[in-house]
Amino acid sequence: MTVKVGIPRALLYYYFYPQWLSFFQHLDVEPVVSHRTTRGLLEKGLRSTVDEACLPVKLAVGHVLDLKDRVDYLFLPRLVSMARREYICPKFLGFPDMVRNTIDHLPPVIDINLDLYHKRSNAYNFFQTLGKMFTKNPARIYLAYRASCQAHGNYCKELESGALPGELKTLANSNGKNGGMADITIAVIGHPYNIYDRFISMDMIKRLFESGVNVVTADHLADSVIRQEAGKLPKQLFWTLNQRMIGAAYHYFNDPEIHGLIHVASFGCGPDSMTGELIERFARSRSTKPLLVLTLDEHTGEAGIVTRLEAFLDMVRWRRNLADVAATL
Amino acid sequence: MYGYLGIDVGSVSTNLVMMGEDGAVKHSIYLRTRGKPIEAVQAGLKMMKSALPSKIQVAGVGTTGSGRHLAGVITGADIIKNEITTHAIAASNVVPGVQTILEIGGQDSKIIILRNGVVADFAMNTVCAAGTGSFLDQQAFRLNIGIEEFGPLALQARVPVRIAGRCAVFAESDMIHKQQMGYNVEDILAGLCEALVRNYLNNVGKGKEILGPVVFQGGVAANAGMKRAFEKALETEVIIPPYFNVMGALGAALLAREATSRKKTDFYGFEVAEKDFKAGGFACDGCPNICEVVEITESDRVIARWGDRCGRWSDVLEQKEKIS
Repeated sequence: MTVKVGIPRALLYYYFYPQWLSFFQHLDVEPVVSHRTTRGLLEKGLRSTVDEACLPVKLAVGHVLDLKDRVDYLFLPRLVSMARREYICPKFLGFPDMVRNTIDHLPPVIDINLDLYHKRSNAYNFFQTLGKMFTKNPARIYLAYRASCQAHGNYCKELESGALPGELKTLANSNGKNGGMADITIAVIGHPYNIYDRFISMDMIKRLFESGVNVVTADHLADSVIRQEAGKLPKQLFWTLNQRMIGAAYHYFNDPEIHGLIHVASFGCGPDSMTGELIERFARSRSTKPLLVLTLDEHTGEAGIVTRLEAFLDMVRWRRNLADVAATL
Repeated sequence: MYGYLGIDVGSVSTNLVMMGEDGAVKHSIYLRTRGKPIEAVQAGLKMMKSALPSKIQVAGVGTTGSGRHLAGVITGADIIKNEITTHAIAASNVVPGVQTILEIGGQDSKIIILRNGVVADFAMNTVCAAGTGSFLDQQAFRLNIGIEEFGPLALQARVPVRIAGRCAVFAESDMIHKQQMGYNVEDILAGLCEALVRNYLNNVGKGKEILGPVVFQGGVAANAGMKRAFEKALETEVIIPPYFNVMGALGAALLAREATSRKKTDFYGFEVAEKDFKAGGFACDGCPNICEVVEITESDRVIARWGDRCGRWSDVLEQKEKIS
């Protein structure tokens, strides 16, 4: 019987899943992903999380609850740092402990550290420790690691060429088939686990597609572009994800193909409140592009987001038409 | 003679405007929604019909406000538009060159920044309803003052009392405290207006560049005390347009005129007021999302459904319509 490892469809799932999938498959371990977010799943998470946690963490707890009774292990790696001299939000760091202390009857939790902060640290240590739990053969682990890196590289390339993660990919393709109805391009800037989760984002990306909008995100840019843009800040941001958001926002503000930006923050997220402010300041002082700031919380009423999106798109189109007229004069 | 009908179904009030071809308001109606948007729209239509000369013909209908989809479905609107766009369009038609719109309604407040006649930025209040019409209504009631007297009384104030405006609940307790200390009602009311303006400018208007001409509209603009408090805080003149409380509906009518420039209207006629509409709802049990589906029926025939995330209920209806 193959061992089942549960992966919550939350947090950095949207970033690392292809890599983890490939690694586990090469070791004949069966990865099990939690179901898509639903209201029931979110409510379970809200009930079992401490009040101070942010919405994405509460949601991730919901996904853990969804998985815990049907897997042999829970894969909740302790993500400390994804790049040198950068950190992941402390709530990610404490996530495995938060889960262990609030949920009873858990399967064994795999909470190996992924810490690339220091010069000599590398991701192989992480995968080596992980692999040893399932096989004694170091060569197999090494090969699985190589394959997983390749999978991650392919995934990044796919995103850079304009694809969206997971189920959103098919959405984008079907939109393209309808004869390129999109007449404006909007950059959606936000944490991957907010903007790609169709429930939490209230299906924002699909709504945009349906309103004739092309959507681009930070993941469509090469890492080097993002780092270069984020480097324009007087002091480097040490949160990897927020650095990606800032870098992408700066890039898109200067990209003539982009008609407007939407910054998506989640309620209770400390880093978001700061990057939001940085992006807003840039928008006001050094750009003429429209910016919409949306804050997501556990509200299920869609009227608020629909009204703001509609008004924003009206504004973007109105301004673009005016610019078109001006260009012909 | 042609006319364009604009309907704004808000949380507190339902407003209707009949606009002539030239953009002038022929008749406007301001009603309380009282939690029953369908009935309010029907009552408004009845009043509108009896107030208009019989030769006027409706050439287009636009709906807006938080109940815009509902109103659009029952009247057969030519355009259904969000309230930010309609307010901006109405204000820039009434006050050409307007650069800032302050809009305070029953449950929400917004700021719209226009530059060169185009919306450049906007913001709406988030979860906090402090500083909206409902709060003023409630406080006027508590002081046993009609909401109509609120403004004139506030203008009589000599030394406005400082009241904490960060939160409606705290503002209320602060107000009671000041009242028990013996400050007179006029000064408290003026202080309340100033507190709400501070709260509005800090929350909704945060970081926005407010340039004149400034237009103040929405139901709260009826309160002269609020106008003066805004003028004091912004140190500029604040214009209140003649139809300040129905600007959303006027914007919807203007958009309806544009939408019907090349087509005939879909308006079902004033008979809509006599029809039997019901809004029902049920919780779909298809998946753990448990969507609350809203169903609008007209004499037992389902005419619209929404609220389901997956389209299980709303799509079925659309298909049926296509077949028939």
